[in-house]
Amino acid sequence: MKRPDQHPSHTPPRWVDRLIGLLCDSDLQEDILGDLYERYQLSVERLSERKARRRYWREALAYMRPAFFKKTTHNTTPHPVTMVKHYFLTAFRNTVRNKAFSTINVLGLALGMTCFLLIFLWVADEKGIDNFHANGDELYTLYHTTESSGNVFGGYSIPHWLAESNGQRQLVLAEELKENFPEVLYATNYATAYELPWGYPCTFQYGDTKYKIRGSSASEDFFKMFSYPLLAGDAESALSEINNIAISEKMARMFFDQPEDALGKMLRYENFKDLVVKAVFKDTDRKSSLQFDYLISWHTTAMGGILTSDNKWPTYIQLRENVDQAAFAEKLKDYQNNRFQYPDNYRVNLGIHPFGDHYLNSSFENGKPAEGRMEYVKIFSGVAIFILIIACVNFMNLATAKSLKRAREVGVRKVIGSSRSYLIGQFLGESLALSFISLVLSLVLVNLLLPYFNDFSGKQMSLPLTDGSYWLFLIGITIAAGLASGSYPALFLSSLKPVRVLKGLTRFSKSALWFRKGLAVFQFSLSILLLIATLVVSRQTNFVQNKHLGYDKENVIYLRIEGDLTTKYALLKERLLTMPGIAMVDRSSEAPHNMGFEMSSPFKWEGQQEGEVIGFRPTSVGYDFIDMLGLEVVEGRAFSRDFATDSAAFMVNETALRLMGMENPLGKKISAWAKQGHIIGILKDYHISSLHEEIKPLIVDIKEDLNFGLIMVKTHPGQTKAALESLELANAEINPNYPLAYEFLDQEYARLYENEAIISRLSNVFAVLAILISCLGLLGLAMFSAEQRIKEIGIRKVLGASVRSIISLFSKEFVQLVLVSFVIAAPIAWYLMNGWLQGFAYSISLAWWIFAVTGVSALLIALLTVSFQTLRAALRNPVTSLRSE
Amino acid sequence: MRRSDLGEFEEIVLLTVAVLTPAAYSVVIAEELEQQTGKTVTTGAVHAALQRLEKKGFLTSEMGEATAARGGRRKRLFKVTIAGSKILHEVKAVRDNLWGRVAPQGLPQTHIS
Repeated sequence: MKRPDQHPSHTPPRWVDRLIGLLCDSDLQEDILGDLYERYQLSVERLSERKARRRYWREALAYMRPAFFKKTTHNTTPHPVTMVKHYFLTAFRNTVRNKAFSTINVLGLALGMTCFLLIFLWVADEKGIDNFHANGDELYTLYHTTESSGNVFGGYSIPHWLAESNGQRQLVLAEELKENFPEVLYATNYATAYELPWGYPCTFQYGDTKYKIRGSSASEDFFKMFSYPLLAGDAESALSEINNIAISEKMARMFFDQPEDALGKMLRYENFKDLVVKAVFKDTDRKSSLQFDYLISWHTTAMGGILTSDNKWPTYIQLRENVDQAAFAEKLKDYQNNRFQYPDNYRVNLGIHPFGDHYLNSSFENGKPAEGRMEYVKIFSGVAIFILIIACVNFMNLATAKSLKRAREVGVRKVIGSSRSYLIGQFLGESLALSFISLVLSLVLVNLLLPYFNDFSGKQMSLPLTDGSYWLFLIGITIAAGLASGSYPALFLSSLKPVRVLKGLTRFSKSALWFRKGLAVFQFSLSILLLIATLVVSRQTNFVQNKHLGYDKENVIYLRIEGDLTTKYALLKERLLTMPGIAMVDRSSEAPHNMGFEMSSPFKWEGQQEGEVIGFRPTSVGYDFIDMLGLEVVEGRAFSRDFATDSAAFMVNETALRLMGMENPLGKKISAWAKQGHIIGILKDYHISSLHEEIKPLIVDIKEDLNFGLIMVKTHPGQTKAALESLELANAEINPNYPLAYEFLDQEYARLYENEAIISRLSNVFAVLAILISCLGLLGLAMFSAEQRIKEIGIRKVLGASVRSIISLFSKEFVQLVLVSFVIAAPIAWYLMNGWLQGFAYSISLAWWIFAVTGVSALLIALLTVSFQTLRAALRNPVTSLRSE
Repeated sequence: MRRSDLGEFEEIVLLTVAVLTPAAYSVVIAEELEQQTGKTVTTGAVHAALQRLEKKGFLTSEMGEATAARGGRRKRLFKVTIAGSKILHEVKAVRDNLWGRVAPQGLPQTHIS
């Protein structure tokens, strides 16, 4: 037999074939080409080769007619609705048939989505803080960048009194800015009266009703700038005059029946000034970082006598619309420097930062607003996305693993004529359907968990289900999750060659196996990363809470010196010491756990160099202070009533000593403001503020007659209740105009780390969830693996393999995965957590055992997860597994 | 079924299939027609006619054996269906009837070879 392709001279022009292939319907190609070939052979035999070729052309052209062209619509294409119905049917059957797999898929995805939604609720809530003001885009807060002898530090609270060259307080920055810069539409000072270092709730009185209330002072533009709705009065006049006050609805109801009744009434402030209520505003909610129950007009505060927590406070401005803020910032920068005569090595530059961002950008780096809380928001957003990815990976992995079973289905579909795009559509459709089921499940879960989550994170969030854009977000996420998790199986399965599949030749290619293992490793790496991070964060939080601070913070209650106590402290102390539950009473001008007041110019010491300054933290205490807090004296002695001269004596801590560079300090001269005296003792360093900060130089003296500060009461252990009753009695007797308000020192200390505590709690929960989801995936893989290898195990057992050897055979695979994940995750975790710990001046070290514990526990969890499946596979009777086929 | 459903070329092709059965396929049909008419007949034209006839139900087809001459491709063998046979007979009846009624003076004389 002659084959045309064996005789090159008898082969018709090739590209005609191609043309036919391109233009003619595929079903007809065999006929057409066959005819052309056969005719060509005949012509060649009959005519010359050249004529045959010419004739061939004619023949080929005869096929260029519509009857043979490709059909645009395939007449075998089924109706789309039928197909979709069919897809749903197969999806449903598949789901029901593989109950375990489907449950794992849906559960994992639902858990992942729940985490994601909860975290994003939190993130949205954090981002929403201070972003509700109508003029939000034009609102800015000022900040200062202070350079002092090479040190740079910054803050939103601008020190207004720092340069008292003419002895006048400079309280007018806000007003001056408005006058001097046409760009500024409104400006306000804002000073709270209740925050540290010196603040406290102030006492208000109307008739006989008295309450302690937390509030602030602000300039007259305040209500024009910010959107705090007024229930009575108007924004224009609320704070426009001296002795004006605006109060919250809550405060109004404390004194009056109706909020409107408060207008025009006089409230007595701290038993010394009468203020007229000019407006009632709606209570500040959690969306506002400024929290206040009253606002006293700045005109009043500028006169003196009204409490501000600090000698520095924020200034907020509203720029006119379309002002170039960069140009304005440039103009503003040197304002303070030009206004005051600062020493040569001292500058205070001003800057502006969007008001809506100042809550999240809570920290300063190099004198400029830095990430601060924003960092946590970013970290948690990352965690949320990670967890969702982990859940998607589960899905992907299980679907791919399962795909061997479905390969036949794909083969049959392809043979019958399904195109690749239909198959891709089918598998993506399945994963989308599952991901929508997961969405519904996770919404139910979120709804159930939200109250606990709110408790836990100190927020009041709700699912914004009435918000259309939130639904768009939900649906977007669901589709993204569905597509992400369905993409690989869809592409993989649809690419299978039907011939091979139906012959039973499908095996996973090496790359597919690697891909699956890679996914599992990726997933476990993320989980291990989260686990390490959690361990470190919670240990650091614990460390901070329980670190020995160098003083004894238990059983100490403190209350503020106010009202009659300013003159009757001695009487109170005497009275209290005779009452039950009270062990010791003393005083301090500063709260001992968080001394924020820092000064440098008033301090002089023997041996001080010209121009040398140290930022001291001063406090004035009573004789028993050192005893009460259990402070250790390393050199010299503590204050004592036995020495009459001790009223002019000073003690400093080791840090102060080191900074002053003093040798043989005892008896050396030192002075603070007008008070001159000698150093009588050195205190061992103890933590005078939060552990974020290094220990600062401390200077302590005795002042028992100061008219401000705190009274500290040490109670007998276990008798707190009795002690509080005693306090109540004594206060009512000695200071009847002021209701008793007290704090527990240890609780207040814990509050310094509220943020860290919340972060730690959140990360605990999410790490556990991430592990749980990863384990679900592992469980699925183990189930699949056990199912796949049933025959292998049967044969092994028949040939004499022990249960143990089979278990180890199985576990080895998973152990390897976890080990590789650990090797990847550990260095990353080390790097990240090291960075985080840098934020603390005192922190735990990243001990090797943290990593070891995480690694081992991840391994154990993984083994535990797969063990049930492995055991079941290993114990199976080989007869049942080998019976068929 | 109207008669106009069968074109002249179709009729000839159909008839040729009947002649060449059981080995009737496009190439031999084209060759046969070329021999009979002395004109060039492309397989494309034949193929199109076969397709139309099959669609009208006058022909059925099945794939035959692959041959080397076709580059290893199979040939499509055609058979006349009952409907095809019926229509051929009808056409023939019409023609015969007409031929029978043609008077000698109706056709100019010609030598038929």
